[in-house]
Amino acid sequence: MHKRNHRKWLGLAALLAVLALVAGACGSDGDDSAGGDDGFRIAIVAPSASNDLAFTQSIVDGVGALTGVSAVDVTDGTFIVDDAAAAIRGYAEEGYDLVIAHGSQYGGSLQEIAADFPDVAFAWGTSSDTFGLPNVSAYTAASDQGGYVMGVMAAAMTNSGVIGVIGPIAVGDAKLYVDGFVNGVQANSGGATANVNYIESFSDVALAAEAAQGHIANGADILTGTAQMVVGATGVAAEHGAKWFGTQSNQTALGADIVVASQVYKWEVVLQGVVDGIKDGDLGGEAHTIDLANGGLVIEFNDAVDAGHARTLGENTIKSIAAGLKQTGA
Amino acid sequence: MGDFFTVASLVFVVGSGIRLATPFLLAGLGEAIGQRSGVLNLGVDGVMLLGAFGAYWTIYETQSPVLGVFVGLGVGLVMGVVYAVITVGLKAEQGISGIGIFLFGLGISDLLFQKQVGTPFPIRGFGDWHVPLLSDIPKVGEMFFQHSVLVYVAFALVPAVAFLLNRTTFGLNVRAVGENPAAADSLGVSVARVRTTTILMANTLAGLAGAVLSIELGIFQQNLTNGQGFIAIALVYFGAWRPVGVMGGALLFGLVSATVLQWKTLGLVSGAASSLTAMAPAVLTILALVVISRTVGQPAALTRPFERGH
Amino acid sequence: MADHTVPLLELRGITKRFPGVLANDDVHLDVLPGEIHALLGENGAGKSTLMKVLYGLYRPDAGEVLLSGEPSGIATPADAIDAGVAMIHQHFMLVPTLTVAENVALGLADNGMLLDTTAVAGRIRELSARYGLHVDPSAYVWQLAVGERQRVEIVKALYRDCRLLVLDEPTAVLTPLEVDELFVTLRTMAADGVGLIFISHKLDEVLALSDRITVMRDGRVTGETTPGQTSKGELADMMVGRAVQLAPDRPAADVGEVRLAVDGLRVMGDRGLESVTGCTIEVRAGEVVGIAGVSGNGQRELAEAVAGLRQPTGGTVAIDGTDVTGQHPSRVRAAGLAYVPEERMRDGVVGEFTVAENLILVDHDRDPYCRRGLLRLGAIADACRDLVARFTVKTPSLETTTSNLSGGNIQKLILARELSGEPRVLVAAQPTRGVDIGAAEYIHRRLIDERSSGTAVLVISEDLDEVLALSDRVAVMFAGRIVEVMDVADATVERLGLLMAGTGVEEVGAA
Ligand SMILES: Nc1ncnc2c1ncn2[C@@H]1O[C@H](COP(=O)(O)OP(=O)(O)O)[C@@H](O)[C@H]1O
Ligand SMILES: [Mg+2]
Repeated sequence: MHKRNHRKWLGLAALLAVLALVAGACGSDGDDSAGGDDGFRIAIVAPSASNDLAFTQSIVDGVGALTGVSAVDVTDGTFIVDDAAAAIRGYAEEGYDLVIAHGSQYGGSLQEIAADFPDVAFAWGTSSDTFGLPNVSAYTAASDQGGYVMGVMAAAMTNSGVIGVIGPIAVGDAKLYVDGFVNGVQANSGGATANVNYIESFSDVALAAEAAQGHIANGADILTGTAQMVVGATGVAAEHGAKWFGTQSNQTALGADIVVASQVYKWEVVLQGVVDGIKDGDLGGEAHTIDLANGGLVIEFNDAVDAGHARTLGENTIKSIAAGLKQTGA
Repeated sequence: MGDFFTVASLVFVVGSGIRLATPFLLAGLGEAIGQRSGVLNLGVDGVMLLGAFGAYWTIYETQSPVLGVFVGLGVGLVMGVVYAVITVGLKAEQGISGIGIFLFGLGISDLLFQKQVGTPFPIRGFGDWHVPLLSDIPKVGEMFFQHSVLVYVAFALVPAVAFLLNRTTFGLNVRAVGENPAAADSLGVSVARVRTTTILMANTLAGLAGAVLSIELGIFQQNLTNGQGFIAIALVYFGAWRPVGVMGGALLFGLVSATVLQWKTLGLVSGAASSLTAMAPAVLTILALVVISRTVGQPAALTRPFERGH
Repeated sequence: MADHTVPLLELRGITKRFPGVLANDDVHLDVLPGEIHALLGENGAGKSTLMKVLYGLYRPDAGEVLLSGEPSGIATPADAIDAGVAMIHQHFMLVPTLTVAENVALGLADNGMLLDTTAVAGRIRELSARYGLHVDPSAYVWQLAVGERQRVEIVKALYRDCRLLVLDEPTAVLTPLEVDELFVTLRTMAADGVGLIFISHKLDEVLALSDRITVMRDGRVTGETTPGQTSKGELADMMVGRAVQLAPDRPAADVGEVRLAVDGLRVMGDRGLESVTGCTIEVRAGEVVGIAGVSGNGQRELAEAVAGLRQPTGGTVAIDGTDVTGQHPSRVRAAGLAYVPEERMRDGVVGEFTVAENLILVDHDRDPYCRRGLLRLGAIADACRDLVARFTVKTPSLETTTSNLSGGNIQKLILARELSGEPRVLVAAQPTRGVDIGAAEYIHRRLIDERSSGTAVLVISEDLDEVLALSDRVAVMFAGRIVEVMDVADATVERLGLLMAGTGVEEVGAA
């Protein structure tokens, strides 16, 4: 896999030289064979790091699991939308077979670019809007479903009766997850409360950590959170022995003895269909959702943490949601 | 919905504010030293990121927080040498050079992280050190004396830097060079040497600030500082270039952030009010800045390279 | 102790070039121990450059510097200090935000790690007492008046046990009283064996103070003499390179009606404090009234308020009987005022404009320069050529950018513009500050001509000689008020000096 970084650190010439050296060394582990003309080439533009154990990693892992793809190119860390737009347009010009704009904030740019390149297929997530363009596929996750499952489990596991939730900004995927989680907690008859703290930032790790401190000071013994800044919060949970529920990626690596379960996104479940369609000449035009029923959402349990009967409870909840028997969202 | 005005809640907010203030304080103290000698360093955030990554990686590999702190300091020192060569040696424009350093630190710290570590595995820091006796005082102990040793170091540096600037010969040279370098030069004080020294100090402290951030959070991530270095620069203006003032600014910023966070945790604000209160620390700082910058002058030679006979 | 046969300092053949300027051309100069050696020359003669070479701030292109007969080896200011050379620069080298003691302590070789300002303050007090230099070691420099700042500079030099002290135009910013005090101090230092180089372009001072005089012009030494062997006229000729008439002739003129009447004027200064505090003065047709005073006593604000550039808070201004208080500058000009401002580059001309554009700056919208909204370039060129010739403005062309002219020529340009409108009242603030003697001589002559032709002329100047040479009546301004007006025949430097310093003025409400 070949990575590019399109940020504007190319300021001073002197510094650039050093940068070029390191970047050169870094590129060596990449797979630069993207040029094969008969292969299927995918490009990803995403806002944070490819291995953030969260949002961006989910798409990188998902695309990596696709079959029939000859090359993948990633531009990550484009938290500035203009940089992302430039990268998306660049990939479109280079004739990639599928350009994935992974970030709801890229929608406006994508709408313009996709109209300019009617022969290139685009995918945009997380969203359910294709702008009515035949060459745009939208993809989103019913992350409220996993949230609900884990909320039910957390409510069953808490001793203090207080559960802390750390969110970034109350929009999109994050809001779905948080709402589902809170609904799950409330569905449990134990009377546990879930305190939600949106810190109003996707990137402020220090603030996320301090929000976790606040939840714990306020009596929480179980925490959860979504978006890439939660890595600050997991450390605090570990320090205080609080349990953690993760989402977007398997977060067990952040704390092997505290992460009870993670909701993992398997974007390949819907993207495989998109890829196969493109090969058959269908460039898009549809919105796709991953959920527990189609296997795009998977709850991965960490066997190192004993969740007791909450695990059974969780597994049963998964089954009934997949069967369409439960309302999980807001 | 909880009650904000309980003793436990207020005690927590103070402790939380102190923790949040610490990286700002360290970076701000360094920047204050630099600015007092007439050097503006807009690269603080980049140096913090490099220090943060250096410390994180070291601890990740060696499990030694102490070594991590020293690597953070060392990375800052090296960046200080780079900045001194650019601004004192080559007399380059300080504003753009600082931005260059920032972008360099932002890019390189991420690149190295992706290459050397990849997944953000947690590292172990110092843990809280309870100051003997003092930490046993009810409430007060909990607020002030149950922190990481790095927090105490940061606050102990406030009187140390004040002493350095006001009571030592070096500090006199620093103040003179920042106000009227030609006068200092005419009395045989080497402007280049003074500024080089302050740049090294400023960057070393920025490196330490970054190290404190990654060690206390136990993690590294792309753009971990999230612009803290720039806020630290604003706090130097806020603090009128005095160490105690910088501390006041850092504490105000930290306490307001902690208060807003606590309100949200307790469910006292939500929805649109939540996004508005999240801006409170920045808005307050800007307001105070506007008021203060009208009354206190900055070092007269700030951002001006010195050349004899000009 | 002083060995009078070996010079303390010897400059041999110093040459220093700047791009396009030969600032010092083979300059020789020597100073004996205990000698006060004056270095006299017009602005731009190369005096400061020579001293900066001596002090290690510039490296000479040729020549050598000897101290007590040995090569000085001075390459930096630090070397100069080590060698016992001290310099008081034309622009003070003080740090305003530091205290007097801190300024003195700055850069001292025997400073330890920790700053000991109490020891420094003690020694400062000793030196103050010995040399009659009153300074408060704990005061901040920004709080001090100019005269006090200069004393701090001298203390700095004394503290470092200098054996050679250079003073670059030290009197430019002082009141006559302060100049006298300075001279006492300098003589005491000389008596102790210190050699002094005293730079000035004021002839009286040089004659009064020095043992020897070296005159420079255009980077070269044009003469060396002693006060006993020379005269003001001869020195001026050496400085300018031709015969100069120092004081203009003032033929008798008929004094007519009151043209400018300022009554009880109050004006705020830039810092929000009242700078003009009830100022009353009249100027009649055919007379020059000179306002003497130390800068900062409200002269600038007075001039600006009269010209309509600053809004008064009380009192009235009338020109030729018309009340123009607080009116727009164009109305004031229409009433007959011409104004030569103190800050000529800021208020007098637009530096980036051409000479011609500046000449028509005021009248560009009027006949003959403009008809039906169109500039008449031919008429403008003719008029400008005429003005430049009449006022002897030295400029390569009418299209030259004004900021490239010398101070004297810019001032002539302003005068040409202002006098071309045949004003009823002329206000000239600091008309010859920073202008060389030749141009000053010309400007003085024009001002007198103007008065003799019946214009009322108000001259505001910090240069007492200038006030005395031009004025029919002399007014002294202190603390925002005219404290006394006298006939020039009754005005002596001593009397004016006392009034300018605020002594002999009754304080209102004083116990
Ligand atoms: N740093 C400099 N760069 C270029 N020209 C200079 C510089 N300093 C002085 N000059 C020029 O050298 C000449 C002598 O200046 P200066 O020594 O300041 O004269 P003085 O002190 O006698 O008024 C002037 O023409 C001045 O413009
Ligand atoms: Mg000079």
